[in-house]
Amino acid sequence: MSSSPRAAAAPALPAQARARRRPRALLGRALGYLTLLVVAAGSAYPLVWMLLTSLRPRNTVFGGGFFPSPDEITFDAYREAWTGLDFPRHFLVTLVITAVTVAGVVALATLSGYAFAHLEFRGKQVIYVTLLSSIMLPVTAIVIPLFLELDTLGLLNSQGGLIMVYIGTSVPFAMFLMRAFFETLPRELVNAARVDGAGEFAIFLRVMLPLAAPGAATVVIFQFMNTWNEFLFAQTFLQQPEDLPLQPVLYSVVGQHSTDWPLLCASLTMSILPIVVVYVRMQRRFVAGLTLGAVKN
Amino acid sequence: MATATAQRRPAAPPGRLARRGGRRGGRGRSAALAGYLFVLPVAACFAVFVAYPFLRSMYLSLTRWSGFGDPEFIGLDNFDHLMSDPVFWDALWTTLFFTLACTVLQTVVPLLLAVLLNRGWRFGVVFRTVIFVPAVVSFVVTGSLWQMVYDPNFGLLNRFLDDLGLGSLAHPWLADPSTVLPALVLVSLWQAAGLYMLIFLAGLQGIDPALYEAARIDGASPARQFRHVTVPMLRNVIAVVVLLNVVNGFKTFDVIYVMTGGGPNRASEVLGTYLYGLAFGSSAGAVPSFGYATAISMIVFVLCLVATLVQVRVNRRARDVF
Repeated sequence: MSSSPRAAAAPALPAQARARRRPRALLGRALGYLTLLVVAAGSAYPLVWMLLTSLRPRNTVFGGGFFPSPDEITFDAYREAWTGLDFPRHFLVTLVITAVTVAGVVALATLSGYAFAHLEFRGKQVIYVTLLSSIMLPVTAIVIPLFLELDTLGLLNSQGGLIMVYIGTSVPFAMFLMRAFFETLPRELVNAARVDGAGEFAIFLRVMLPLAAPGAATVVIFQFMNTWNEFLFAQTFLQQPEDLPLQPVLYSVVGQHSTDWPLLCASLTMSILPIVVVYVRMQRRFVAGLTLGAVKN
Repeated sequence: MATATAQRRPAAPPGRLARRGGRRGGRGRSAALAGYLFVLPVAACFAVFVAYPFLRSMYLSLTRWSGFGDPEFIGLDNFDHLMSDPVFWDALWTTLFFTLACTVLQTVVPLLLAVLLNRGWRFGVVFRTVIFVPAVVSFVVTGSLWQMVYDPNFGLLNRFLDDLGLGSLAHPWLADPSTVLPALVLVSLWQAAGLYMLIFLAGLQGIDPALYEAARIDGASPARQFRHVTVPMLRNVIAVVVLLNVVNGFKTFDVIYVMTGGGPNRASEVLGTYLYGLAFGSSAGAVPSFGYATAISMIVFVLCLVATLVQVRVNRRARDVF
């Protein structure tokens, strides 16, 4: 994707502009560049400011320029968040909840996505559409009964209960992505394996699953991001302060330390680090997933 | 939900044929059995964590219940009460306004950005990456960060205006009922623009360059190319983006809950924050009213449903026209 826009989609335009060197085309080019610069600056500005503020000593936050002077840079705020706010614990909690959820969602979505793409059974369309309908169901419409249901099952205040809710509510979208991915794989593979006498589960496990890695990677990124960032369910279903994942913790930190900006900014920065790393490293799979999910269907 | 029905319909005949073929032998039966087994775990999850809660919501919306004892069935009284609840109407209008503003901005701006970015630039990938980064940041982080940006005394925005010599425009953005909504819409745009831009970019990659070639040979200006090639070719993608925007707008909760809690004086109260407050404390300050809150959640659901159905209708008609 990185070079393809220039190479494939609009090859003639820049070339044309360069060839003719018309003043108007050059001006348009410059304006376009300027627009992109302004938009990118606007996107990055608050985040850069957050990073810089997290490195300031508390007493210079409300005065001084945009950039802190090099000699006043300090990691005190990070130290404080790390020890004072028990950050490692909540980080670990979030990581475990996210990892288990992602694993569960990928497993269930791969299995069902494959079935909907390559197996034939009665009522397939109806079942598929019913399951998929939950994508359009607003979470605020089910948060109350989910709360009551977890309470009845004794799973309120339990990370296991939260994970089950996460898996249950996110698997339909992941299944949709995996089905779209499996449909890009030739069915002849399945048929050939069947002719060879392989059982259905063996076909799935040995033939199709090894080919599913790119699709699964997309699901992993989306799910990792959504679960890591989820707030409403975590805030509602968990109450023990020490069991909380990062998002509700950050929410309460903002409430309690609303004037300690370096501490706030350090906490926020640490919380988004894993996400930003995952996204920047796996950007291509993310874009591929969007193509699969939003454009193809 | 209906989206999928409409779009899958063309695929149905081959599926039916294959099924008929499959039923002929034992292989087909074992494949069908495997199909059910493979789908079973997801169906079970769906039943327990989506379908049952949803049905219970429907029932609870017809009851009065504080969470203790048994819900008391009161028919449509909750909805009757909604009709004369000024807070509900205000929250509904706020939700509609917020949704409309977000949908328009978060469709038009990302589309224009995608078209611009797609023309090929040195450092294009860097621009794309930077513009997208806010989309991976959580609502809580976004909300907390922008609370500081909008801070009346030391916030980034007011100091920025001050530096430009526009200090007189400095404003308590989130504390003034007349600026709080635009301020929240801007936050939403900041966060969402990158994602929708990527979706549009993915769509643009799928347009045959020959179409632009032909348009250019016919002497079409870039604006006309946009109007007559890009927009029609991206029709389905635009429809998806609009639908996502509308549904996300109707169910808005997190950013507003984090940034203003629906304040000041309920000026930014939307249906999501109102019903959450009624069920889980804070805004009511009284006993939880699960019945009344689920009645509001049913209204949110109906809004999303209507948006989906309208989208399917419009999409189908558009397909007939083109």
